[in-house]
Amino acid sequence: MQVKTLRRWNNALHRDIGYLCVGMTLIYAISGIVLNHFKSGDFIHPDYSKSYKEFKVTPPANGKADQAYVMSIVEKEGEKNNYKSFITGENYVQIFLKNGSVYVDLASGDGQVEKKSTRYIIKEFNLLHYNNIKRFYTWFSDLYAIGLIILAITGLFVLRGRNGIIGRGAWLTVVGIILPALFLLFYM
Amino acid sequence: MTKKIFCIFIFSALIVSACNTGNKNNGAKTTADTVKVTVLTFEKQADTLVNKPVFIEGTVLHICKHGGERLFLAGGNDSITVEVTAGPKITRFEESMIGSRIRITGVLKEERIDAKYLNEWEAEVKKPQENHNVGVHTGTKGHEDQGVKEKLEQIAALRDELRKSGKDHLSNFSIEAGKFVEIK
Repeated sequence: MQVKTLRRWNNALHRDIGYLCVGMTLIYAISGIVLNHFKSGDFIHPDYSKSYKEFKVTPPANGKADQAYVMSIVEKEGEKNNYKSFITGENYVQIFLKNGSVYVDLASGDGQVEKKSTRYIIKEFNLLHYNNIKRFYTWFSDLYAIGLIILAITGLFVLRGRNGIIGRGAWLTVVGIILPALFLLFYM
Repeated sequence: MTKKIFCIFIFSALIVSACNTGNKNNGAKTTADTVKVTVLTFEKQADTLVNKPVFIEGTVLHICKHGGERLFLAGGNDSITVEVTAGPKITRFEESMIGSRIRITGVLKEERIDAKYLNEWEAEVKKPQENHNVGVHTGTKGHEDQGVKEKLEQIAALRDELRKSGKDHLSNFSIEAGKFVEIK
C-alpha cells in the first residue's frame, strides 16, 4: 500500500474515531478533574457538596439519647420533615436526615448539621468513570479505551512536514512522555 | 439534521432510562435456603455460613465515598456493624440510603487476614500514594480519611489480635449483596 493511501486511511480513522470519542472523553475528563481533587482532599465527596452548621444543645440528663431527645433536636433545627432515623454511639448520637445528618456530642452538647446537595450530571459522570454499571459497560469502556489508543497513534501521523512527527510533533510527543515519567521518578 | 440528532438523543435517553430500572425493583425475595443473619449475631453466625446465601436487615450507617460500592449496616447503635459490598448486579449504593432501614440478600464472604496480608498492606500504606482499596474497612466515622499513622496503628492492632488468637489468620466477614430493598 502506498504511503499516500496509508495516510488517507490514518486520517479518516483519526477523524471518525475522534468524533465517536468526544462524548466519552468529555465525561471522563470532567469526572476525572472532580475525582482528582476528591483524591487530593479538595472535595469531601465526589458526588455531593456538603455544608455544615454548628449548634449547641443541652446534653440529656442521663447522658443517653432517646427518641424524644432526638426529636427535640430535629425540631429545634427545623428538620422535622427530613427526619429518617438515629443511631447512638459512645457519647454521641447521629441523626439521619433525608439530605444529611445531625451529629451531637452527648457530653459537651456540641452539635453539627451536615447538609448534602447532589452534584447532578457530575454524579452520573462519576458513576460511568468508576464503572459502577459493570456488565456491558466494562466492554463499552474498553472499546472506548482502545479508541483512545488508536486516536493517539493515528494522531502522530496526521500531519506531514516540519509540524509532523519528524519535526515539531516529535519534540512535543517526547515532552508528553517525559512529564509523566518524571512524576513517577520523583514520587515512587 | 437537527431533527435527526434530536430523535437519536431521545431514543438514547429512553434506552438509558429503561436499562436503569434494574436496581430500583430490588425486592429482596428470599428462598428457603437463604439464612437470616442479624447485625448483632453476624460474627458468631458467619463462620458456618461462608459462601452461603444470607439475608440481613439493618440501618445504613455509612456508604463508602469511593464509588459507593460498600456500605455498613448497624443495629441500634454503632458498636457492631456489618460490611456489605455491591455484587455484580448492583450498580452502587446511593448516599440517600444512609439512615434507611434495608434488607439485603446476598452471599456471605470471608476475607482472611494473615501475616502475609498484613505485610503487604503495611508496604502499601508506606508508599507515598495510598490505595483506598487496600486493607480492612471499618466503616467508622472518618475511616476513609485515615492517615499513614492511623493505618499503621490499625495494622499493629491486627497483628496483636492475630498473635493473641493463636490462629494463623483472622477473618473479616462481609456480605456481597445481590439485591436490597428499603424497609418502610
